[in-house]
Amino acid sequence: MGLQQVLNRLLDVNYNVIVNYIVNRLKEYLEESGKEGFVVGLSGGIDSSVTTVLVSKATNNFFVLLMPSSSTPKEDMEDAYSVISMVKAKEKSKLIPIDDVVNDISKKVETQDKLVIGNVKARIRMTLLYAFAQKLNYLVVGTGDKSELLLGYFTKYGDGGVDLLPIGDLYKTQVRRLGAELGLPERIVKKPSSPALWEGQTAEGELGISYELADAILYLRFEEMKTSEEISQELGVDRSLVLKVERLVKTSQHKRLPPEIFRLSGRAINSDWRYPRGWS
Amino acid sequence: MVLKVELAQIRPKLGDIEFNLSKHVEIIETSSADCVVFPELSLSGYVLRDLVYEVYRDLKKASQKIADKAKCAIFGTIDEVMPGVLRNSAGVAIEGKLDFVYKFFLPTYGLFEERRYFQPGNPLKDLKVFSYRGFKFGVAICEDAWHPEPIEALALLGAEVVFIPSASPMRRLSTRLAIEDQWEALLKAHSIMHGIWSAFVNAVGSQEEEYFWGGSMIVNPLGVVIARAQKFEEARLTSLIDREDIRRARYFSSFRDHNRDFHRAMWNI
Repeated sequence: MGLQQVLNRLLDVNYNVIVNYIVNRLKEYLEESGKEGFVVGLSGGIDSSVTTVLVSKATNNFFVLLMPSSSTPKEDMEDAYSVISMVKAKEKSKLIPIDDVVNDISKKVETQDKLVIGNVKARIRMTLLYAFAQKLNYLVVGTGDKSELLLGYFTKYGDGGVDLLPIGDLYKTQVRRLGAELGLPERIVKKPSSPALWEGQTAEGELGISYELADAILYLRFEEMKTSEEISQELGVDRSLVLKVERLVKTSQHKRLPPEIFRLSGRAINSDWRYPRGWS
Repeated sequence: MVLKVELAQIRPKLGDIEFNLSKHVEIIETSSADCVVFPELSLSGYVLRDLVYEVYRDLKKASQKIADKAKCAIFGTIDEVMPGVLRNSAGVAIEGKLDFVYKFFLPTYGLFEERRYFQPGNPLKDLKVFSYRGFKFGVAICEDAWHPEPIEALALLGAEVVFIPSASPMRRLSTRLAIEDQWEALLKAHSIMHGIWSAFVNAVGSQEEEYFWGGSMIVNPLGVVIARAQKFEEARLTSLIDREDIRRARYFSSFRDHNRDFHRAMWNI
């Protein structure tokens, strides 16, 4: 079986059912949380655009923040505005450029390192999202997808700092297809993914692998539980690529877990504290 | 001889026994059926994890309240069989009398972690067939329907209908819902092999990350799905179960040829 066949298996899903499912779960989650709505950060990329549309279908009580920096491409803002008009959220959105805060922090940290500053940008956005969420009594909706979460391609406590991840069990390629089904503009659906934390950054450039290939490898390795040899043979790719994806997943495990607590007592939080989230 | 059954495909609130109990009572009091059947752990919700230890005492009282109200009801609860030893159970309330059926196979793989909390039932002691209005029924809880033995044993003990209270979470959603097809295949196989009615009652709605898909169904002794509840929504599915269908299926089946030597052979595996 080749790459295309694996992708077909991932993409051949019932998108109407998925949309209804996610929208219903958003409604239920909101109701059970006792909060009044959702805040979402919209970049104009595929993930945040899809998430914004889904959120708008779940409730009228949502607020969209656009938080560009100097490294945000002009096209992304145009795309973000097209999504805002699509979900009729002009009155429920706000533009907050973050460069002044970024500059303040980079001065205090005394660095121009693009990775450090890039992560600072993500965490400033998280801070703004939570400030608005608290002000409005809303929840922060994350926009991460399964590919990013597995590869660790997100900033810990930045875009990773959210209350829930409605598209977190859909691979990037599935999210793109979902975006097309939801009627998002083709430019959003097709443009290369990028966190835009610095100019010219693209996800696939940074990861060194296309999302199509990454998704196929992630699926075969962690859902079908195949070995790297089997996957390299099945997809007709060099085994080193499979191992690279595997390494990204393994080294980012800490990002997907709560912080480790060193056990002393008879009952420690985390490993021996398995209460449901909705505990009341 | 006909029995009217209602499958109450409810959305339990995780850990909220009071809410769940009032939902059970409301359904029981408004049902036109002889027997009302609820999903697995319907009084508490399924994804309890360590909350098990916080709720099981309240479940005892709630179970008794159902027994006080129901003519015939089967519901999901937890029974403490000795101090600190808990079992995933179905309460069987018949005209004021309360008994329990225990789950024999406790899924502990993937998203399931039942062995962390529960003790499995013992087939040598805990296989039970009940009788209501002249109809014999058995109860097999969820995972027990994924093995041939529990339902085979119930059928051989005389069960004419097997109720299967379940908490089946959605997974592997593709163009179709694989888990629905799998359940349908299992129910049909049990019904066809034993010439019995099978009634699968699933929970519905979200509990933690999981989502219970509903889709409760009743399969007749010929292996035909004769009633089906909607997916993803609460539902009350009422249907008639007729003994004549059991006879008709068994005239032309080899259910009667139970060969004990297979079980003797399996004992030594």
